[in-house]
Amino acid sequence: MFQFKYSNAEKEMEIYGYDTVVKSHCRMCHGGCGVLVYLKNGIIEKIAGDPDCPINHGTLCSKGIGSTQLVYHPDRLTYPVRRVGPKGSGKWERISWDEALDIIAEKILHYKDIFGAESIVPGYGTGRENEAVIYRFANLLGTPNVLTAGHFCYGPRISTTIITCGTNPIVDYENNPRCIMVWGNNVVISNPDCYKGEPFSQALDTGAKLIAVDPRLTRIAARADIWLPLRPGTDAALALGMLNVIIKEELYDKDFIETHVYGWEPFVARVNEYSLERVEKITWVPKEKIQKAARLFATTKPAAIQWGVAIEQQINCADNNRVLLALMGITGNIDAMGGQVLFKTPKINNVGRFGAHNMLLREQAEKRLGGDRFRLGGNFSIINPKCVWNAILEKKPYPVKMLFLISSNPLLTRGNAKEVYRALEAVEFMAVSDFFLTPTAELADIVLPAATWLEMDYIGDFWKRHGYILPRRKAVQIGECRSDHEMLNDLGHRVGQGEYWWDTFEGGLDYILEPMGIKWKDFKEMKYLRGEVTYQKYKEKGFSTPTGKFELYSTLLEKWGYDPLPQFREPPEGPISTPTLYEEYPYILITGRRIPGFFHTENRQLPWLRELHREPIVEIHPETAKKEGIQEEDWVVIESPRGRVRQKARFFEGMDPRIVSAEHAWWFPEKKDPGHGWKESNINILTSNAYDHCDPAMGATHVRTLLCKISPEA
Amino acid sequence: MRKEVNHMKSYALIIDHESCWGCRTCEVACKQETRSSDGIRLIKVLEDGPQIIEGKPDFTFRVNVCQHCDEPACAEVCPEDAISKRDDNIIILNEDKCIGCGLCVDECPYDAIAFDSNRGVAQKCNLCFHRVDNGLIPACADNVCPGHCIYFGDPDVIQREIAEKHSRRSKEPIAATGA
Repeated sequence: MFQFKYSNAEKEMEIYGYDTVVKSHCRMCHGGCGVLVYLKNGIIEKIAGDPDCPINHGTLCSKGIGSTQLVYHPDRLTYPVRRVGPKGSGKWERISWDEALDIIAEKILHYKDIFGAESIVPGYGTGRENEAVIYRFANLLGTPNVLTAGHFCYGPRISTTIITCGTNPIVDYENNPRCIMVWGNNVVISNPDCYKGEPFSQALDTGAKLIAVDPRLTRIAARADIWLPLRPGTDAALALGMLNVIIKEELYDKDFIETHVYGWEPFVARVNEYSLERVEKITWVPKEKIQKAARLFATTKPAAIQWGVAIEQQINCADNNRVLLALMGITGNIDAMGGQVLFKTPKINNVGRFGAHNMLLREQAEKRLGGDRFRLGGNFSIINPKCVWNAILEKKPYPVKMLFLISSNPLLTRGNAKEVYRALEAVEFMAVSDFFLTPTAELADIVLPAATWLEMDYIGDFWKRHGYILPRRKAVQIGECRSDHEMLNDLGHRVGQGEYWWDTFEGGLDYILEPMGIKWKDFKEMKYLRGEVTYQKYKEKGFSTPTGKFELYSTLLEKWGYDPLPQFREPPEGPISTPTLYEEYPYILITGRRIPGFFHTENRQLPWLRELHREPIVEIHPETAKKEGIQEEDWVVIESPRGRVRQKARFFEGMDPRIVSAEHAWWFPEKKDPGHGWKESNINILTSNAYDHCDPAMGATHVRTLLCKISPEA
Repeated sequence: MRKEVNHMKSYALIIDHESCWGCRTCEVACKQETRSSDGIRLIKVLEDGPQIIEGKPDFTFRVNVCQHCDEPACAEVCPEDAISKRDDNIIILNEDKCIGCGLCVDECPYDAIAFDSNRGVAQKCNLCFHRVDNGLIPACADNVCPGHCIYFGDPDVIQREIAEKHSRRSKEPIAATGA
């Protein structure tokens, strides 16, 4: 890696006349990379990777470099505004921060008084590392309802790993896994949690074997030793088939299973139900390939699975995760050097503690929307969004009166967008904190101007599981923009939570670092800190689960009334589960493949990034296109039982002709009407959020695999 | 090892296409450096495939950028001598001399010259000579690529490095029957 350290900050400054360089930590995605921000006269001129950062080793992605255009975008909201026309009229007036926060505080206290704190729902997307402050604010307020992406993104990774082995096992790229199985993930262009595409590339360059599980031929799949192009939504069956091979051929780690696994016999009995013949039929993957992949994964040490969000946005969410954990576990790769490690963070007040979950009264926690229905999610303070829409629209089980969406655009990013719209239109009061007036923000009463990562001090990655924390240092101030952290710190004082907040949010940063005996002013002088790295900690301490073991059979799921063993469920819509519907909607639609430059709904207004990808693209196999009379570059109507949208056709031979692959999160900031084209190409117009289409334990909405028909636009 | 580029006689920008993930960071790094107009991409990542090669499904990316040819056809055809070759083999298009005739755009066998119709000039990768002359690496090659597929320096050394890298990679024999 060292040989790639070209960056030469001193010379850059000399040649270009930059007067300042700020070493910081990017936050344009779910992850964070070390960056060097070069400024001249207080203006950001260039963003480069930080060669000293252990996460990205100086490399970067298009989003990180493009951040400059986010900071200085002419459409950015730089002061608070209040809506003066009807909802969606696009009529706003400037107000002061004091006025905006006083109005929000007054509404919060009013609704709390009359309807209870549970009638107020704060929420966030996957944006600005603000989850800890938002949960803190909510828990202190007494609302158990925080509306996040957590039901179908990362929340499942955290909750299923905690109930199985105590924490989230992270691929130990720094110690060169010899076999990497990339499961429904495009780590090199997407937004991975901990390590990035760079260390993954390095692992391949040192000879790691590669297995790719993906219905589409990605470049990773093309480079793989084995590519398993499965029928979309059948991940759990495929993994159970691989487990079957590993168990039958005794390729598992016998010592680990004997001493450290809970529920081996019933687990084996369950796996035996998934014969290779059955799995081949379910998944469309030939059994010989499943066998080869299982053998390669189980016999190459150390091995690891690079996984992500795709398998979580399915009805099998929790079990998908659990079968992958089983693969890591029984092959002896859990907490093994170069395998999948349960890293320790430095000694800090962590995200759970900062989130003040212990301050939420039990009687309030019991009111969590959907808490009885989705008990895995509920036990991790996560709610299913439909529960909130129902509470707004039908006032059941009680009314939700106020939404406070902080870095979230649910109109584009949650299942069944039409229902989301009805709820946002109906809710009595909505405040939003964001960079732009997004289609969601256009329905708000008050919109606050949020600071980007370049405009705040923070402890980057402090909630991650790779064990690093890295200083994010403020480089510039734009208008009156404030970080969500400063904003909630201020609002906390205005709603009577003052004793739990600080004069400024720097106090909060000091609080996070307090157990280490340092303050933010000390930490910001450091490169980064990392928790102690040790392996196979379970040998001495066991796993942090109820049985102290690696739970293939989950005692917690059993306690909460679920099947304690993983199983495969057919996707709610598909050739097997809904054959009649399949006649009318004859293609399997997969959604949300990753696109360089964008992060969900973000960045479509940044010229350098939009230039990479100007329009929403639906990939169609040429045979299918021919059958449907679709030419390349045609606008295509994609239709499901719930609605229709348009995207532009691109022929793609790298998948089964029965599959159609559409993009997600499209809106058009260049359209200046208040809707900004949110209905045109938004794939969530097509998805279902019905409760029986969600993961029964986690409440994950099944948005990745549905049925559709396609036709050229008239 | 910091590359000492000042004393080299000949420079080359070489792409290891096998290692390209199609993330397009190089395109945005180039934008940041050159501030070229919207739609003008001096380096661009193109898709090649998917297709079946020797029974195996394949899908690669091609990074297209000026090749700084030994005998540059673009320079030959330019009526204004706006394109010239330096001693270190970097081919430079001088926009101040360009009259916007577009002959070089048509002549380039690599489709690597863009035409900025708003400004009425042709534009191409000048190999960040303003950086190279000051001892820096061209923006796209300056350790931005997460796949480490863009190399700058002595072509012979680079080809050896790439070959060595590829030789370390997995050569799973079942790959050939992977379809």
